[in-house]
Amino acid sequence: MRSYAAQRAGLAIVQLAVLSVLVFVLTSLLPGDAADLRFTETLTPSQVAALRAELGLDQPPVERFVHWLGNVVTGDLGTSLISGGPVADIVRNSIGATLVLTLATLAIVVPLAVALGIVMGTRENGRVDRTITSITLALSAIPDFVIAVVLVAVFSLKLGWLPATWIGGNLLSSPALLILPIAVLFGRTVCLLSRQVRAGTVAALNAEYVTQARRLGVPRRQLLLRHVLPNAAVPGVQELARTGDTLLGGVLVVEAIFAIPGFATALVDGVETRDIPTVQGLTLVLAIAALLINLAADLVCNRLVPRTEALR
Amino acid sequence: MNVREGVASSRRLRMRRGAAVGVSVGLVAVPLVVAVLGPFLPYDARPGLPYSSEGVLGTDGLGRDVLGLLLVGGRSALGMAIGAVVLAYVVGGLIGLTAASTRHRWLDEGMMRPLDVLLPLPSLLVISVVAVGWRASALAITVAVAMVNVPTVARLVRAAALDAASGPVVEALRMQRESWLTIQLGYVGRSVLGPVAADLGTRITLAVFLVASVNFLGLGLSPTAPDWAVSVSRNREGLLLQPWSVLAPALLLVSFTLGFNLLADRLVHRSRRLVESAR
Repeated sequence: MRSYAAQRAGLAIVQLAVLSVLVFVLTSLLPGDAADLRFTETLTPSQVAALRAELGLDQPPVERFVHWLGNVVTGDLGTSLISGGPVADIVRNSIGATLVLTLATLAIVVPLAVALGIVMGTRENGRVDRTITSITLALSAIPDFVIAVVLVAVFSLKLGWLPATWIGGNLLSSPALLILPIAVLFGRTVCLLSRQVRAGTVAALNAEYVTQARRLGVPRRQLLLRHVLPNAAVPGVQELARTGDTLLGGVLVVEAIFAIPGFATALVDGVETRDIPTVQGLTLVLAIAALLINLAADLVCNRLVPRTEALR
Repeated sequence: MNVREGVASSRRLRMRRGAAVGVSVGLVAVPLVVAVLGPFLPYDARPGLPYSSEGVLGTDGLGRDVLGLLLVGGRSALGMAIGAVVLAYVVGGLIGLTAASTRHRWLDEGMMRPLDVLLPLPSLLVISVVAVGWRASALAITVAVAMVNVPTVARLVRAAALDAASGPVVEALRMQRESWLTIQLGYVGRSVLGPVAADLGTRITLAVFLVASVNFLGLGLSPTAPDWAVSVSRNREGLLLQPWSVLAPALLLVSFTLGFNLLADRLVHRSRRLVESAR
């Protein structure tokens, strides 16, 4: 157990090292930098060159990477090329809305998906199972943005019940702002997750130890909660880690549609204006979050169903 | 249940399955046919006023004929996704098969470990950066979507191939002194096809989503491109004025992904049954 955790954490550290290189390389590959994107119309070429030197854009990539990494390790994400403020401020200002959105979605999705998955799994191929399976299958085939566009048209434009954008709104004074974005994010995640929980439940129910427990007269309730659920949760927890990726994609789209001043909006702005330090800072934070989620998921799975062999 | 009832119900079940497969194939075929043949159809698209009801499906926000746009917009929407999945399978499949079949542990580890490291990279992020960086080149987006999928494909193929390669069949073939290549291509490669086919459906759906999301965000193709996802994005304010300008491209996209999802679901069931009956 301990050695698994240690090994897995070791892998996470290697991942972190490689990711930081990748983030830097990927963002440095963006053709055209902030200097020529912003000032070509007003400045002479020599002035652009001077600006580039000032921003440190003329140094060789390896040197820039070492410099950047050194700063990141000490907690300095650099300075935005566009706003001139620290990147850490941009991260801090934008992370709130995204966190609220993601956590609120998960708080609804996870219990519902587990409940649905168990309901389906315990009635394998019954009418209830087939109905819910068909609905989740169909829902998961609709892209986020299509759901978003239709919901906004119906509930904001036609009926006028819910706000269509966050512009001018305040989350604390009008929590109704959250309803449509969460409704969009909720659909696909609940479908993907509940299907995994269903598969896990079916597999656990068919396992020999459950048959044996049944033979011994373990009550149904205890059987489900104590014996089936921990095993059924494993594919669910792994899927949850992967759902992080789906959810992030959804959050990007949802933030764009509802004009939410969150992480994704900041990122898209950064990419479009070639504000490399901002993009690097935001990407790094996101990649670390994804990495930690994966690490947590693996550790939880190992705790639920300890396997004798360690990694792979 | 007596025997006759059993036979009758299994026949009914089979008919229902057949109907379900027919429906899913139809759902995939309609958008595919529109995407492939659409550009060749001699359709006379006349421009009109924005969001008017001229023409068969009306016009969009720029006054362009919606049906005319639909016919030419499928190629990028589906083509990029399908191309990306094919590319992901060529690269990831090769890596997975090699890793599974090699006798050198270092080669296996050397190929699979770096992919483990890539797994937690948020995919839409990578694709957005690439899409913007290469000025919305369709090829760059396709390659980026493929690369994001390579780690999972390689893992899946490796696991499936190992499963097949460790069985008694390969043992027997080896004892008959069949060549390594014959075993790999003739048996291991073929038994990988089942799980691959099941995975293909969901992966194509995901790829369509990724490509469409990048285009929808305005980071991909130009905002005036006839692409289906771009159309949904551009005309979303006009949904109530001229619903078809949004709903028609959206429906084609959803039909394609829904059909593939249903087919994948069928295939998962079938390959599981095959595995169980083989035991």
